[in-house]
Amino acid sequence: MSAESPKSAQVVRMSLMYRVQHLLLMVTLLVLALTGFTLMYHENWLGRTLIRLEGGVLFRGFIHRAAAVLLMAQLVYHAFYMLFSREGKREMRDVLLRRQDFDDFLQAIRYNLGLAGEYPRFGKYGYKEKFQYWGATSGVFLISVTGVILWVETFSMKFLPKFVLDLTLIIHGYQGLLLFVILLFWHVYNEHLHPSVFPMNMAWLTGKVEVEWLRQEHPLEYEKLKQEGII
Amino acid sequence: MKRMRMLALAVLAAAVLLAAAPAGPAPTAAFKECLECHGDKSIEKALPGGGTLSLYVDEKAYRGTVHGKGACTTCHSDAKAPHGKLAKVSCGTCHPDAEKSYAGSTHGKGYAKGNRDVASCASCHGKHEIRKAQDPASRTFHLNIAAVCLACHKDRAIEDKYGLPGQKVMEAYEKSVHGMALKKSGLMGTAVCPDCHGNHAILPGDQPRSATHRQNIPTLCGKCHSGILEQYEASVHGKGMRAGIAESPVCTDCHGEHTITKISDPASPVFAKNIPKTCSACHEKEGISSRYALPKKRFATYMESFHGIALEYGMTKAANCASCHGFHGILPSSDPASPVNKANLPRTCGKCHPNAGPNFAKGAVHVEVTAQKAMGVFAVRVFYTIFISALVILFVLHVGLDLIGRWRRRERAEEARKE
Repeated sequence: MSAESPKSAQVVRMSLMYRVQHLLLMVTLLVLALTGFTLMYHENWLGRTLIRLEGGVLFRGFIHRAAAVLLMAQLVYHAFYMLFSREGKREMRDVLLRRQDFDDFLQAIRYNLGLAGEYPRFGKYGYKEKFQYWGATSGVFLISVTGVILWVETFSMKFLPKFVLDLTLIIHGYQGLLLFVILLFWHVYNEHLHPSVFPMNMAWLTGKVEVEWLRQEHPLEYEKLKQEGII
Repeated sequence: MKRMRMLALAVLAAAVLLAAAPAGPAPTAAFKECLECHGDKSIEKALPGGGTLSLYVDEKAYRGTVHGKGACTTCHSDAKAPHGKLAKVSCGTCHPDAEKSYAGSTHGKGYAKGNRDVASCASCHGKHEIRKAQDPASRTFHLNIAAVCLACHKDRAIEDKYGLPGQKVMEAYEKSVHGMALKKSGLMGTAVCPDCHGNHAILPGDQPRSATHRQNIPTLCGKCHSGILEQYEASVHGKGMRAGIAESPVCTDCHGEHTITKISDPASPVFAKNIPKTCSACHEKEGISSRYALPKKRFATYMESFHGIALEYGMTKAANCASCHGFHGILPSSDPASPVNKANLPRTCGKCHPNAGPNFAKGAVHVEVTAQKAMGVFAVRVFYTIFISALVILFVLHVGLDLIGRWRRRERAEEARKE
């Protein structure tokens, strides 16, 4: 947040494609959380109220599965996009986990504790963003697999004993809770409550961030873009 | 010749008819004498409490009753013309068996003590209008008797005075499957009051000799529901009951008594949605499950399962207790004939889940999440609980540190700019 330059220049951080994917992800995850947790916590008044609002336990299931289909379709599309499209391949390089991220994380902790002199310098995605991305992706993957097993329960029963389905059910639920916790604490802090973006990082809507913000929070990316002559 | 024979036959028939009539004065003559006064529609007597009592006897109606061929003096033996207040009619003179069983009944005992609120012969059978119980015009006809009983038993004053079951119970009967069969369909096979409670020998249900005493209930219901009684007798509940275990459920414990409705009625305790609660009335009792070494936590584990949740929210096709365990013929899972015996589980689950074979049937159905009963689920739950809690703590710590670090970075930037 550069108070010095009132006409702060902006630079693209999320292309339209990513903004659409992000929006879809947000909506489907919210719907899935609402319809899923009502079942997980069906015995308390909030769960009961929500189940009623969702049109009963049967209709709740329809909504949950409809949202799940969207989410899974998006997961598959996203995987293909990241692996094969030109933009996706570039993003993949940026978001791939490296040894450096772990070192950055430790250095950040040391710096925050006053044990290191320099704060790590992040590229387009620092350890916070990468943890978010890979945490959510693996979570969505696990929750999709368990969800499908439970969905086609008549088919699953042919191969899986009941105790395996019991496990599947409990993993599905707790994995959902885990995802929700990551989003609530990690994502909300990083993209809303962090002083550099408070009250909200607008990139998910406009696609753009201020150049000055980039220089402070993601200096390596700033330098790279400068070199490429984009800013 | 032919005429003579016809005449002889007629005389013979008349003689037989006359001989069949009760002994006493010739009925027609005596009758005429009585009816000189009692045939007058306006004859009445003043009652001490004010009001009047009609003393009119409808000859034609009386002739049609079961006693219609008798004479007034058969019952009113002290009647002369004219006469004052006559002695009480004693039905027991001709009906000694009925009188004897009535004397042992709760009505009879009350009557003997001088209570005149209780039903006597006439209260149910009527006086001059008595007909055979098989006669649809009779007060005691199968389809009429309930109204006769309810004349007193739906009277709040009487209920309150003697601590009888309230009007609600009686109204419940009228709305019950038996009451509706009576009221709506006029079904002769339906249960009316005396079918369960008996008639002359009626006693309250807490007395062992009562027809409605707990130990007699299965046999009682089995009078009509004999196929079900047979299944019940073979069940663990039926065997327990016959062995004298009073805690073993009888028909009414699950179905209710006067309130019995169809199982499709949401108010029925054996309506799909209500079954778990009905079974749990006993099976969740610590005393009962300990005394008879029954598995515990059946209700809680069921309600946590998808079947339980679905049922709770109105999907009545979801499996309830009875779907798997059976109902009238219920057996312990150790019995090879039980649908929840390990060997039969694939078939039982298969009723709804066609692919649930022997492989599926591995693992507990009621999942009690403890280390001993369901290690896998227990471990996953513990793992996630610890993992998520730890993650939350770490997140909070990280946020704190991150804010400190950021504040330090800004301080530095400020310093750098000043220099």
